[in-house]
Amino acid sequence: MHESYDWRADVRTRLAGANLAAEDESDVVEEIGQHLEQQFAELAPRIGAAAAREQLLAHLRDETFEDAAAGKRRRARPSRARVWSSSSLLRDVRHGARSLRRSPATAIAGSAALALGIGLTATMFSIIYGLLIKGLPFDEPSRIAVVKFIDPRQPGVDALVTLGDFAQYRTQQRSFETLGAYASATVNVSGGDRADRVEAARVTGGVLETAGVPPALGRTFGAADADPAAPPAVLLSHSLWRDRFAANPQIVGSSMRVNGLARTIIGVMPPKYEFPYNTRLWLPFQENTAALAVGQGPSVNLVGRLRPAATYDNANAEFAGLAKRFATARPTMNTHMRMVVLPFVRASINPRVYTLLYAMLVAVLLVLLVACANVANLLLDRAAHRTREIGIRTALGASRLAIVRQSLVESGILAAVAAIAGVALAQLGIVLFNRAVPPSSMPLFWMDIRLHPAVLMFAIAVAAVASIVSGLAPAIQSARLDINAILKDESHAASSLRAGRLSRTIVIAEIAVSSAILLASGFITRGIVNLRNIDPGFTTDGILTARMTLATNDSVRQRTFFETLERDLAAHPGITGVYVGNGLPGSGWSPRHLTLEGRAYPRENDHPVVSSLAVTPGFFSTFGVRVTRGRPIDATDHNGSTSVAVVSESFVRRHFRDGDPIGKRIRIGSAQSAPWLTIVGVIPTLVSASFNDPRPAEVLTSFWQEPRFDTGALAVTGNAEASSAATLRKIVASIDPEIPLYATESMTDLMRQPMRFFQIFATLFIVFGVVALVLSSIGLYAVMTFSVSRRVREMGIRLALGATSGNVIRMVFRQAAWQVGIGMAIGFLAGSGLVRVIGAALFQVRPSDPIVTILVAAVLGGTALLACLVPARRATRVDPVMALRTE
Amino acid sequence: MLTDELKKGSAEFLVLSLLEAEARHGYELQKLIESRSKGVLSFNVASLYPLLYRMEDRGWIAGRWVEKTGERRRRFYRLTPAGRAALQAQREGWREFVTAINRVAGARYA
Repeated sequence: MHESYDWRADVRTRLAGANLAAEDESDVVEEIGQHLEQQFAELAPRIGAAAAREQLLAHLRDETFEDAAAGKRRRARPSRARVWSSSSLLRDVRHGARSLRRSPATAIAGSAALALGIGLTATMFSIIYGLLIKGLPFDEPSRIAVVKFIDPRQPGVDALVTLGDFAQYRTQQRSFETLGAYASATVNVSGGDRADRVEAARVTGGVLETAGVPPALGRTFGAADADPAAPPAVLLSHSLWRDRFAANPQIVGSSMRVNGLARTIIGVMPPKYEFPYNTRLWLPFQENTAALAVGQGPSVNLVGRLRPAATYDNANAEFAGLAKRFATARPTMNTHMRMVVLPFVRASINPRVYTLLYAMLVAVLLVLLVACANVANLLLDRAAHRTREIGIRTALGASRLAIVRQSLVESGILAAVAAIAGVALAQLGIVLFNRAVPPSSMPLFWMDIRLHPAVLMFAIAVAAVASIVSGLAPAIQSARLDINAILKDESHAASSLRAGRLSRTIVIAEIAVSSAILLASGFITRGIVNLRNIDPGFTTDGILTARMTLATNDSVRQRTFFETLERDLAAHPGITGVYVGNGLPGSGWSPRHLTLEGRAYPRENDHPVVSSLAVTPGFFSTFGVRVTRGRPIDATDHNGSTSVAVVSESFVRRHFRDGDPIGKRIRIGSAQSAPWLTIVGVIPTLVSASFNDPRPAEVLTSFWQEPRFDTGALAVTGNAEASSAATLRKIVASIDPEIPLYATESMTDLMRQPMRFFQIFATLFIVFGVVALVLSSIGLYAVMTFSVSRRVREMGIRLALGATSGNVIRMVFRQAAWQVGIGMAIGFLAGSGLVRVIGAALFQVRPSDPIVTILVAAVLGGTALLACLVPARRATRVDPVMALRTE
Repeated sequence: MLTDELKKGSAEFLVLSLLEAEARHGYELQKLIESRSKGVLSFNVASLYPLLYRMEDRGWIAGRWVEKTGERRRRFYRLTPAGRAALQAQREGWREFVTAINRVAGARYA
């Protein structure tokens, strides 16, 4: 048997000066050692052990051997491409998944935090997408536009465009492929078993062509239908056809009564088609449109489809030019009015709602940021526990890039799991939102809130960004570790990393973001509560209301109807109070121009705007409104007697600041023909259910002194049986079966309605705030726990030297208080900015309201206190002897 | 005996060719080159491993520790797609070289 040699030792000695990375060196030693061993085993029997050994050692001594080491050394610094190659990435994913499995708490907490963030973000985005971005469900919806005449000084108050204006614009413009005009109206349809109120649109040619949807049955309007002499036609929506005509396929050609006039049904539109707004029935404008001059004809809205080549900029420039030319034809129009062309959806949604929705998206992105911060903290924590592993890997030649990548891969795995859970959460959120805001309750028929592919893409993009945001800070931090320090003393390096500036900064950022969101949700909640608790100035309890529109144009017959109605209602047993008028307080005020006697108004828009309501004497008793000066409207104020008005205190403040309004004369409207009204009394300000102006200047006029009575509202009080919708309907039908009673609602519900939309969003905001609060307090808890556990020895020494547990608790709290304090200060500054954006005016709260600020600070402080309590108590329970023995 | 220069130039070609069919470890490569060239070509650790490591660094071959049951762990080299392409190119070049040599050297006997 031949002697054996340790060839490995020889190889290692030979490589001593080569300065190879440890991992590579052991590879080379093993491989070449084996080789030599095998060669020796073959060679020795032939030439003798000593000669064989000498020969092989000579090979090893050859200077070309240095090249082997050089080849390996290059490999120790892998190229960038190699670090990101798919096979090594896969290895990192496996390694990451394995190491996350070993600490399931981190994995679950991290993914859960991100899932919450991604879920909220995706829910919010699906709402924005379905409502604002996706557009109308027609071909190339971005080309569908509306034309508006706006007053830049009074956003939201559009000037009227008449059918005559439209005729001129249509013939002269080049931007639109189709351009039409429509006027929305609510019509009575009757015939058959019952009368109904239906939302309708009177349209010119061009409106239905803009959507470009063919009818499901029959035809749509042609040029002949617009002829004033043509037989009256009507086009039905699918829902009306289904509800009123039992989806009769033979319906085309038969007739129905609309506002008392018999019309021929020419077609039925497909399901869910309600263009332009919530329309269930279409009528043609039967006017000689082309003959109308600028400023003539009924007022209309313009809608059309831009030519493929036309941009909004071009169209706006063209219409601004046309408007300037037509302005000379309307001298009463203010010159600062502007004609604008806007995308349909953008123009259809209140700009405040637009701002609110995007502000909410920003808010959820902030919540997501808090979640990312939490994950970053968790990964930092892992990095701290793994400092030795990372130190060794770095020492063995792992490049910083590889370590950064490992950390990013881990956050990527967390984010991928979170994306799946987050999409599921978003689906839940969407279901809940759709339940709270049923599409049928919104007049926006295109609203379609689902997990659209675009929403999924958004969720994936958000998850990807979140994984980078949460993985990058810990990654860079780990790569920057001082290897020597780590290998010498793990705990020191770990705590210097963990309790380091980065981790504290993250917690401060988390607290800042959650206090900003909490402050915003606090203010919004306060606003909603304020609106709910506001004293409307009149009674709302136990009042049933309803509205109706008369079919007849004959003012004598209209008056007779309402007089009969008031008398019959009052005579009905069980009904104690009866009000009839042209609208209801709260929601029914109509904005009108005001003319004060003795004042000149050179231009139409110089008139101030007031809110008016024509009421019967029953108004004051039914709604419990008392005059503070003068007298209410009473039975003497009927037609023929002097026209009177009762004004509100807000009206007096605005228009009779110095002086008694009683006996002064005003005119409602700017027309010279409107009668002068003598002010006979003053009432307290009644709240209007409007977010823009909840306390408008109000004028009550006498219903019986009105010239016409097209629409009416009624309100009754009394016992439950008498003041029920069924009773009211029966009484109305007994007077005129052609008149449908609609919107039968309690006054309380009616006042709450406009708030519902905002309540839903306030609720969402509160959810965001609470999630952010929970996430950031978990973050604070984690940081404090870690910092306490790192200072066990210090606590032990302090306790041994006679510190009380109170001292120790104070010490822990003092450390936390800094972070919470700085975070809250930053957050409150940012939060009041956020409140300003979502519009303090929207909710009638001043962002300086101290109560909300104090409350939010208390909630945050309390939660932070709770998050520190456990670690602080743990610190006091440190056994000095055990603590000193650690390590 | 071939000159060192020629040996160096053709060594990579040889290793690539030998790895074409299957993965082999360093010792096996050395033995195969020796036996197939009937001793005309020979390598030792100082010439073989610098070559292998260079080729690995270049991405032509990939080494991996493989443990077969009943045997010790060995580092096996296999051809990467890039190595396969390199082999193809070298084969092409070799064929051209041989043809050219034959044209020049063989002309005398034509």
